[in-house]
Amino acid sequence: MKYIIIAILFVICLVVGYTFFNKYNKRKKFFKALIMLAEKLTVEINFSRERLKVLIENFDKTTKQNLLGIDEGFLNYLDRKTELNDKEIFKKADVLKKEEKDFILLFLKTLGRSDVENQTKEIANFTKRFEEFKAVSDTEYKKYGTLSLKLSLIAGLFFVIVLI
Amino acid sequence: MLSKILPEKIAHIVGSKINLKSVNEIRFRADKPIIVAVGGKNYFLSENGLTSSLKDALYSSKIVIEDIIFRASECSIYSVNEQIKKGYIVTENGLRIGIGGNVVEENGQVKTMTNFNSVNIRIPHAIKNCSLSYFPYIVHDNTIENTLVISPPGCGKTTFLRDFVAQLSERNLTYNVLLLDERGELDTELDANFFDKIAFSSKKMGFENGIRSLSPDLIVTDEVGQEEDVDAILYASTCGVKILASTHADNMETFIKKALFQKLIKEKVFKRYVLLSKRNGPGTNEGIYNENFSRLSSSF
Repeated sequence: MKYIIIAILFVICLVVGYTFFNKYNKRKKFFKALIMLAEKLTVEINFSRERLKVLIENFDKTTKQNLLGIDEGFLNYLDRKTELNDKEIFKKADVLKKEEKDFILLFLKTLGRSDVENQTKEIANFTKRFEEFKAVSDTEYKKYGTLSLKLSLIAGLFFVIVLI
Repeated sequence: MLSKILPEKIAHIVGSKINLKSVNEIRFRADKPIIVAVGGKNYFLSENGLTSSLKDALYSSKIVIEDIIFRASECSIYSVNEQIKKGYIVTENGLRIGIGGNVVEENGQVKTMTNFNSVNIRIPHAIKNCSLSYFPYIVHDNTIENTLVISPPGCGKTTFLRDFVAQLSERNLTYNVLLLDERGELDTELDANFFDKIAFSSKKMGFENGIRSLSPDLIVTDEVGQEEDVDAILYASTCGVKILASTHADNMETFIKKALFQKLIKEKVFKRYVLLSKRNGPGTNEGIYNENFSRLSSSF
């Protein structure tokens, strides 16, 4: 019984640590993917001028997985299935802060609303801010992401040693 | 098709309370009542369909107009900027949407249009046999006469061109027809077999490339209105290609006085002139004339 409780405590510590690690990891990957999407849009809008829906649907599948469902939410809006608001867009993006969500929503609201030149400038301005978000999320990941994993492992081992 | 671009509430009214087959245009102007043109007459749009009473009219707003343009461009205004520069968008279903707003110019060239304040959605209709009464005057002895269809806006020029191409196909007259379609609307609901299409190209480019690459017997094109269009037609006529085109003018007298067409009139490039009006609704036949502007039939 004792060993079972020790094992459970150890696993709980690891899960808590992994949850924090995962949060920072998701944020880091999200901003990287978002910047890649913005860059892809800039290139395609300037050259192929393909429709927004097609561009987002054809965006790299692996990278798209890190967008926390905002691409799906936006496509639903383009298809008139949902409204363009934070409730619909950020359903799966609970790791984002309010300020970040507001800014991303603003970005989505400007997409497809102007000519090539203005659209390109707008995306470039948004990308600058996304890079700032990314820099912060990278730092947080380095600072707290790996740290929380290590701490959870240490805490788990601590319980194991103390309880044995 | 309108449900994709209109605001939900308006789309519902238009879809359920109006017979779209009789609608020619729907106009949205910022902070003004929504107007629906039916059979050449204007009505207001209300919750219950069409009305003549202003107090029941539904009003449009700038946001509604911007949203219609956004949706009509498939949520990608940048992709249709070349059309917007010319003042319209054509949707994937062939709806032509005229746009009013502020034109942004740079170095004498239109760069784009902003601050949209009105849209005019033109509903295309295929009116079967609308060109039939003119057909024998234009096609005879296995040849087609170069023909120019003349009318004010909204009188059925494009519908006439479409039906004429369909009539050729129906009679198995296997002419290779090239639709030179600057606005991408000529083949909307077109039931014909023998046509190629060059869309969204200038007439100059379209005539040159089309003649070179597609060897058409007949080029059908809409709204001749510039010097370079006239030059393109002159070029085609010297290549042995027949032309069916349209242009804007109130009546034959106005047309004959237009400076733009003097070269074509002098050279007698067009052998037939078809005049349309909306006197008895869009597409009213007003007569067909030969190259000397003598009326060929009084039966219209």
